[in-house]
Amino acid sequence: MKPKTTNASEPILALETVGKRFGGLRAVEGASFAVATGSITALIGPNGAGKTTVFDLISGYERPDTGAIRFEGRRIDGLASHSIAKGGVVRTFQLTRVFAAMSVRDNMLIGAQRQAGESLPRLVFGPKSVKRAEEAAQARADALMRAFALDRKADDYAGSLSGGQRKLLEFARALMTEPRLVLLDEPMAGVNRALGASLLDEVERLRREQGMTFLFIEHDIDIVMRRADYVIAMAEGAVIAEGPPALIRRDPRVIDAYLGRKGAVA
Amino acid sequence: MSFLDADFWIGVGVTAGVYAIFALGLQLNVGFTGLINLGQAGFMAIGAYAMGMLVVDAGWPLLLALPAAILVAIVAGALVGLPTLRLRADYFGIVTIAFSEIVRYALQNAAFTGGNQGVLGFDGGWREFQAWASNELSPIGLGGTIQLPLLIAVWATLLICLAALTILQRSPWGRVLKAIREDEDAAAALGKNVFAFKLQSLGIAAALAAVAGFFLALNVTYLYPSEFDPSFTFFGYAALILGGFASYGGVVAGAIILCALTEGLRFLDLPLSSSQSGSLRFIIVGLVLIILAMFRPQGLLGSKAEMQLRS
Repeated sequence: MKPKTTNASEPILALETVGKRFGGLRAVEGASFAVATGSITALIGPNGAGKTTVFDLISGYERPDTGAIRFEGRRIDGLASHSIAKGGVVRTFQLTRVFAAMSVRDNMLIGAQRQAGESLPRLVFGPKSVKRAEEAAQARADALMRAFALDRKADDYAGSLSGGQRKLLEFARALMTEPRLVLLDEPMAGVNRALGASLLDEVERLRREQGMTFLFIEHDIDIVMRRADYVIAMAEGAVIAEGPPALIRRDPRVIDAYLGRKGAVA
Repeated sequence: MSFLDADFWIGVGVTAGVYAIFALGLQLNVGFTGLINLGQAGFMAIGAYAMGMLVVDAGWPLLLALPAAILVAIVAGALVGLPTLRLRADYFGIVTIAFSEIVRYALQNAAFTGGNQGVLGFDGGWREFQAWASNELSPIGLGGTIQLPLLIAVWATLLICLAALTILQRSPWGRVLKAIREDEDAAAALGKNVFAFKLQSLGIAAALAAVAGFFLALNVTYLYPSEFDPSFTFFGYAALILGGFASYGGVVAGAIILCALTEGLRFLDLPLSSSQSGSLRFIIVGLVLIILAMFRPQGLLGSKAEMQLRS
């Protein structure tokens, strides 16, 4: 999958009537939505709405039973998850998944793409290209670890980090892949407010400076209102509303489904 | 035979070297990739038999048969890995032990492998070399111990394998294997082709098993199926656990200690029948492993910090 030049009006990601069943359970049903290039889009919905399943489908962990998923115009449903990641879509997990018995630095370096040293023939026959790629990856990792205040932990085991630091590491590691679309599954869960705010500041900076696109699942409606420029609301496996945050918070379907009929969103 | 008999301990050294090479492959799979390979004895059988049959049946020179047999073992690793490496870790373990038993039963029953009669006469080239080497060693007073050249060959090979694996493990390639061991879904999410890396890990382990098989065959001078029963694999695991998870040096230490212990205990002079004292030796080995698990669960050279992070 090669990167393709896209104009800003074309969506970077499009789901077309995507469906997924697990046995008798319809996890996702006829879901269609688009994510605009360079946007920060929020995916909201009550527990069991199918948000994480949508992430699993986009990132290739599950294959949709019906419909199509396009990234930069190309179909990615059916591709292996590592191919999708190589193509420029990276995800984080709801429950952070760091490589516990590896150092923070090694965790970061796993995110590097096109590493000559990961190929056995090139380890033997191209030690120079291996060294070059490794040095470039090291430099990127160092810069990102500094940006996320992980540099003092670089040689510690990732498994010794606090929950919040793991979240940061997972995000920084995802950025190592030089993605064009980042899927964040509840990036704020288990992170203290100050740390969470700096993480989201970083999201905004990356969008502004590098044109990176973000799709994130979030439960805190205040954060969604302040940080997202577009919101997609799901309930019971279907997309029930989408639009700018100000409209979504007044949408009766969203209020009904997501807020449990408690009335208008505060 | 006395406790200080040189030939005896040279034999133990050869056996320890064979187990160490064999268990290096297990360590690559289990300790560094998270692959529970229980079929290592099967790959060893395929490598050793390929070598023996290429020499005896096809008339190849031994030096040419060795690399060819390594290739055969790698192909066998790929054939086993292709359909099974996508399975969950425990299912993979079950399939590989079944594979190794299939290999053993096939060797027992197929006509072209000599069945239980085994394969003889593949080591002519080696014995010529051994005679020459013994002759060369005699001026320095080491000519009398016939197995000494084999010991040197086994340990030189072992040290080369140990060095190569250690270098590989420090490379970006080794780093990806470790990430797969830690969390293969997260590794895939970062663009790593988990399946391809596992296949390479299994292929290299199969090659190491084949090399161990060559030396086993040269040591006992003929090939027969029951040399390759699954207990060989489990003995390799015992060396791995003793030496420590995710440590190549550890498996070498583990293999030496285990072989020295099981063989050295032959000198225990107790009023027991030979089958009784044989069982007693394994009871003692088992006790050593249990005591180790209690007081040093990470093994001799394993990392306690890493072990705790994994649990």
